[in-house]
Amino acid sequence: MNLKELISELKNKYRVLDEKFNDPNHTFVSIVPDQLHAALGELKSYGWKHLSTISCVDWIDDNEFELVYHLWNWDSRSQISLKTRISRSNPHFPTIMHIFPTAKYYERDIHEFFGVEFDGNSEMEPLFLEFWDDIPPMRKDFDPLKYSREKFGERDYKVPFADFIVEEGDQK
Amino acid sequence: MKEFELFFGPNHPGMHGNFSVHLRVDGDTVVKAKPVPGFLHRGFEKLMERRLWIQNLALIPRICVPEPDINEMVYAMAVEKIAGIEVPEKAHWIRTLILELGRIAAHLFSIGGIGGATGLYTFPYWATADRDSVLDIFEHISGARIYHMYIIIGGVRKDLPEGIDSLIRETMDYLESRIPEYIDLVMKNRIIQTRLRGKLVLTREMCEEMCITGVGLRATGVDYDIRKYDPYAAYEWVDFDIPVGEDGDAFTRGYLKLLEIQQSIRIIRQVLDKMPKKGPVNVKLPGNALKWRIPPGEAYAHVESSRGEYGYYVVSTGETTPYRVHVRGASYPQGLYGIEKYLPGTRIEDVPLWLGTMDVCPPEIDR
Repeated sequence: MNLKELISELKNKYRVLDEKFNDPNHTFVSIVPDQLHAALGELKSYGWKHLSTISCVDWIDDNEFELVYHLWNWDSRSQISLKTRISRSNPHFPTIMHIFPTAKYYERDIHEFFGVEFDGNSEMEPLFLEFWDDIPPMRKDFDPLKYSREKFGERDYKVPFADFIVEEGDQK
Repeated sequence: MKEFELFFGPNHPGMHGNFSVHLRVDGDTVVKAKPVPGFLHRGFEKLMERRLWIQNLALIPRICVPEPDINEMVYAMAVEKIAGIEVPEKAHWIRTLILELGRIAAHLFSIGGIGGATGLYTFPYWATADRDSVLDIFEHISGARIYHMYIIIGGVRKDLPEGIDSLIRETMDYLESRIPEYIDLVMKNRIIQTRLRGKLVLTREMCEEMCITGVGLRATGVDYDIRKYDPYAAYEWVDFDIPVGEDGDAFTRGYLKLLEIQQSIRIIRQVLDKMPKKGPVNVKLPGNALKWRIPPGEAYAHVESSRGEYGYYVVSTGETTPYRVHVRGASYPQGLYGIEKYLPGTRIEDVPLWLGTMDVCPPEIDR
């Protein structure tokens, strides 16, 4: 079964919102959130056993987060990225740890940088950022420049021995 | 016996890089292991959203210090996929050459690290000195030793300099002559045999559960390598083998890296033989590079780094900067989930071997 046939089979079973081929072996499939786990499980049974990573994209204008699950199949040498969108105002999504145990840390990463809660994933404490005290930093409405200005302030630089510095042209 | 907590890293002789593993130990046996990354978090993904497409080329090699070229390659591949750019043939060959040189340098660094963890200190000295000969080639080609910024969107920055052919061939001959010496010094050494054989054994099921790629997976008897399974650059046009091991232990992983260096030398020689002598090495994107707009779209590109699958997910909305770039560091699974799950039960002295032979690279985990 090639990738095109598989996608049409997925379309029969699940509510696929959109599909896009980058090339014959790499595709992106959008699916409704409540069917994502079933689709992931089914794809895993077909040989998409390798979860490359989980990405999150902040579509702030649509008030939505997009979760992208990148799967790779070593046998058919093809990649499917399953995408789903969740609300940005109260971002919750069930974990996929029971399908891919290694997702634990990817979900923790997304929780830290985007603030998405993964229900069922027990460990959600920060992984990278220590003493973080603002909104999750990868969100589009977080401005790193503003944050660092507020947090650290403008420093007053004084050049020691400034009087002794000879400007160009002053040399005589 | 009473359990103790041991902070293994970031300042520990057995730890390479800014990474820490918090261990709970019962005597010498690890009871619990908790990875603590974040010492090198520089916020690259956020920075990239605020930089132009061309500016990012100078930023991304810094994500992975020992093997920077893969970042440039995979970023270029993802953007080329979105924008539908066809790369000239010669650029594919040069990219292959750069990537394989980078692989040799990274492998030498990483197997040298095994010597540091086992007390065989001749090995890191030899490996680092030999890696330097590869860096010399990089300096001739790109002007830089570590961060080359040589592979760009649409090809490579410049053609290879004249006379580089003989330098590369000489270095490859030298490196090839060193491999039997490495086998004599290291692989047949009693210390290495005792400390690595049968240690930290992974089965294929464990690797599939962790979604590990690279040498860790290939040491369990499968030849999964993205260069063969999803070919990019010029890998389709060259002949090479994928070294595969059976035992899945630390020794096999170390040995496979040496064998991979041999294969890389083979690839580089073929590239030099088969590469077209003339032709363009890049396609210019239309307009001013400071105003490049990549058409809206998304792509996930991946390459085989020295540590496994290295991927970039790039989203463009047609602006002058990327909308989102997500980096899939090759050592993410073994460096976080693998440490937590499979280090308990091993001994303290096996912890640096896990980090060394499974290739845990902290900068690409932290990003």
